[in-house]
Amino acid sequence: MRQVAAGEIGGLESLYDRYHAMAYALALRITTETGLAEDVVQDSFLGLWRNAGRYAEDKGSVKGWLLAIVRHRAIDSMRRRRNGVTIGDETEEPLPAALTLPDIWPEVAGRLDAQRIRLALAKLPVVQRDAIELAYFDGLTQREIATRTGAPLGTVKSRMRLGLLSLRRELIDVADGSDGTGPTSRAAGASTLPRTGPEGEG
Amino acid sequence: MAIACDRVLDLAPGFVLGALDAADMAAVREHLGTCTEPHPELREMGGVLAYIGDSLDPVEPPRHLRDAVMAAAQADLRARSAEKVAPAAVAPAPISLARVRALRTHRATVWLTRAAAAVVIVGLGGYALAVQGDLARAHQAQDHANTVLHYMQVPGARSAVLTPELGRQGAGDAVLLPSGHVYVLLHGLEPTKGDEVYMVWSSADGGTIARDGWFTVDDQGEGSLEMDNVPPSDSLWLMVCREPNSNVEKPTGPAIVTGTIWVYSVPAPTPTD
Repeated sequence: MRQVAAGEIGGLESLYDRYHAMAYALALRITTETGLAEDVVQDSFLGLWRNAGRYAEDKGSVKGWLLAIVRHRAIDSMRRRRNGVTIGDETEEPLPAALTLPDIWPEVAGRLDAQRIRLALAKLPVVQRDAIELAYFDGLTQREIATRTGAPLGTVKSRMRLGLLSLRRELIDVADGSDGTGPTSRAAGASTLPRTGPEGEG
Repeated sequence: MAIACDRVLDLAPGFVLGALDAADMAAVREHLGTCTEPHPELREMGGVLAYIGDSLDPVEPPRHLRDAVMAAAQADLRARSAEKVAPAAVAPAPISLARVRALRTHRATVWLTRAAAAVVIVGLGGYALAVQGDLARAHQAQDHANTVLHYMQVPGARSAVLTPELGRQGAGDAVLLPSGHVYVLLHGLEPTKGDEVYMVWSSADGGTIARDGWFTVDDQGEGSLEMDNVPPSDSLWLMVCREPNSNVEKPTGPAIVTGTIWVYSVPAPTPTD
């Protein structure tokens, strides 16, 4: 990242080679269009390139920051598309604020992979997971989620809060293997999250 | 709207997910800008967001995307270099997309070439020009670098890095817009002498090599070419040769730089959720 901040293309190439597939997967999941996802990824890496000097190592990983940028750009592009505006017609959008950077949990992060994270997500009550995913992947506000799901706004807020806190606990448990699966187990074939589950709160 | 710490605690889940209404988002940001409390709830909840993204299986993007990202970064780097050359002179705002589109609209409808030695100065060349006090030309360097950058940001734009052939000098970027407009910007070229020109040749989808246009290069080593109405294709291979004159009908001189703009994109997978 220091190389990138110093304007060295080689540094950007290294970051791209390491994270491009994850960035593209997230952009594609949000936009569902390859062309738009490519634009988002290009725009995100360029944003990272231009703002590398703002990166604070103690506030989170480069990957976390990049994914936050990708998500921000992808959701923004979808919102603008809904409003009839295309990427590039707008002024430069600010990058995600530092406070949205991930808490890196260094002792945990290294033991998490996609399947373990899906396992942790799958353990959430479905209404909590839906509230989080509608906000994270679809960019809906709490009010829009309430309208879409028919749940009261206060309930949506509560589901988000409980869901995020539960997910944090689940991630730690999954990483520790204390969820009963063991530290090396996998949720085989878990390419999508189940749509059924306990209701949890209400 | 000033809010208290308790209110931030209440709004924290929606804030970290970006799911608050605009007014609430702004209120939280305003509070955090002045509050001395650590607000650990934001880090606790925000910390899981990166892992939600990690729940996805990686997807390999089309290979041309890497070239596009690097070409955009290089263009940005050249724009920054030009700014350093003459900050007072090149400080004006970057070219807007509206201007880029206007330029595109008014260009000739046939393949258009433009002699570059007289008009294009970018990157390192800009430094030498500034030393000479030629701020107008340094300004042009900024203008052209910005043009490349903004072309690359046009939705659907595809780009390629043009790299030197073995033992040759020069490099550059090429951008293809969905409208069929192509912009080629080169630097580090050896100056042309006498009737010599740099000729741009292209081949769509591996087909017949076509002559696109030519330019000459002065001591600054920069050159550019613009083309319109390039037929749609999945790939556009570009080759810049140094030719003895501008009348050649097929490549005769050495290839200096080459690159391929990949247009083809893989179909979108079926949504998994």
